[in-house]
Amino acid sequence: MLPATAAALAVLAAALAWPVPALLGRARWPRRDPLVALVCWQAIGLAGGLSIIGALLVHGLAPWGHSLPEAGAAVLTGDPARDPVRGDHWVTLTLAAVLALELLGVLALSWARTARTRRRHRELLELVVRPADAVPDARLLEHPAPVAFCIPGARPLLVLSSGMVAELDDDQLAAVVAHERAHLAEHHHLYLLPFVAWEAALPVLPAAARAHAAVRELVEMRADDRALTSLRGPDPRRTLAQAIVVAAGGPGGGVPSGALSVGGSAVGARVVRLLSPPAPLPPAARAAALLCAGLLLLVPTALLLLPAV
Amino acid sequence: MASLGDLERTVMDVLWAAEGPVAAAELRDALADRELALTTVHTVLSRLETKGFVEHDDARPRRFRPRATREQHAAELMHEVLGRSGDRQAVLARFVGGVDPEEARMLRQLLDGSAPDAGTR
Repeated sequence: MLPATAAALAVLAAALAWPVPALLGRARWPRRDPLVALVCWQAIGLAGGLSIIGALLVHGLAPWGHSLPEAGAAVLTGDPARDPVRGDHWVTLTLAAVLALELLGVLALSWARTARTRRRHRELLELVVRPADAVPDARLLEHPAPVAFCIPGARPLLVLSSGMVAELDDDQLAAVVAHERAHLAEHHHLYLLPFVAWEAALPVLPAAARAHAAVRELVEMRADDRALTSLRGPDPRRTLAQAIVVAAGGPGGGVPSGALSVGGSAVGARVVRLLSPPAPLPPAARAAALLCAGLLLLVPTALLLLPAV
Repeated sequence: MASLGDLERTVMDVLWAAEGPVAAAELRDALADRELALTTVHTVLSRLETKGFVEHDDARPRRFRPRATREQHAAELMHEVLGRSGDRQAVLARFVGGVDPEEARMLRQLLDGSAPDAGTR
């Protein structure tokens, strides 16, 4: 029979594959506290992978024992299975191996590809950019489109296009730079990496795309928030919003449409959020959300490691 | 002591400014103030060649020229930054993604509509 552990993990995996990401994706509170929401998304991703692979593994190993430590020890010491090993056990074991390899493999591949592209960009940049006079640690790229970006890594690069410098005043430029510095300081590219990889690994799972879009939006909001803490001036929120609108509507905004549905609405959400900031999450709600994220990780881990009841 | 990256940029600047292909010895002379050894110039050139920034003719193997202009490199980079190639989002964090003209107009209205009244300043 199906061990209770496997059943519980499967239920959890199903919840994390669709209803939970759908709920969090639609919730309004994440924009009140992007950092807590980001923690929740990471927990969902990690717990989801852990529970689906765990469910398959526990079921596949059931003939050797009803919990992972028990069955694992039996397999490793070469003990014979206590119950007959049926076809479905082999199927789930194979699925567990394939899924684990795919998730980790795509993650590694995505990492490597990203690193290669970044290296190429850095090589190009080091040749064509010059130090920006206005901002000491930024580089200036001669191009009319108003663009700012950063290349994360051991030697991060912050790049502003000449179009961006020309269209913004000093305060707005400082806001843009503070936003990009926040990305670099908090290593936001690492938050995104698993979701980029898992969207590529599981294109059939709508939750993967939804999670990726949500995390991308939250990372931008978080960078906005962090940028605001270091900005001076009468109305930094408005300054940053102005910079966003200029950058979004500039000549560089004419990117082929179709690719923009996600980015477009996210830009709007950022501007609205800056102009009429939502109340911050009360401490109790913050704590509850973080507790949920912790439990989300703890439950599948406990199910996997505790002996079967 | 200048870094290799710094030297590469300087060498490219000379090559870009030059009329035609440039020999390593000429490069050394052009950068005389840096007191470079000829081997250093060759090292920099071969690194640039590996990266695909300079090339040399088979007919004149000792003379190098840039493969593309500075503007072409900048355009290539911007194309990747502005375009949507695979997992670009993970490669670099762009300040704002592009929006279509309709939304850009809407955003400007939003900004104008919320102009702060003088009293709150």
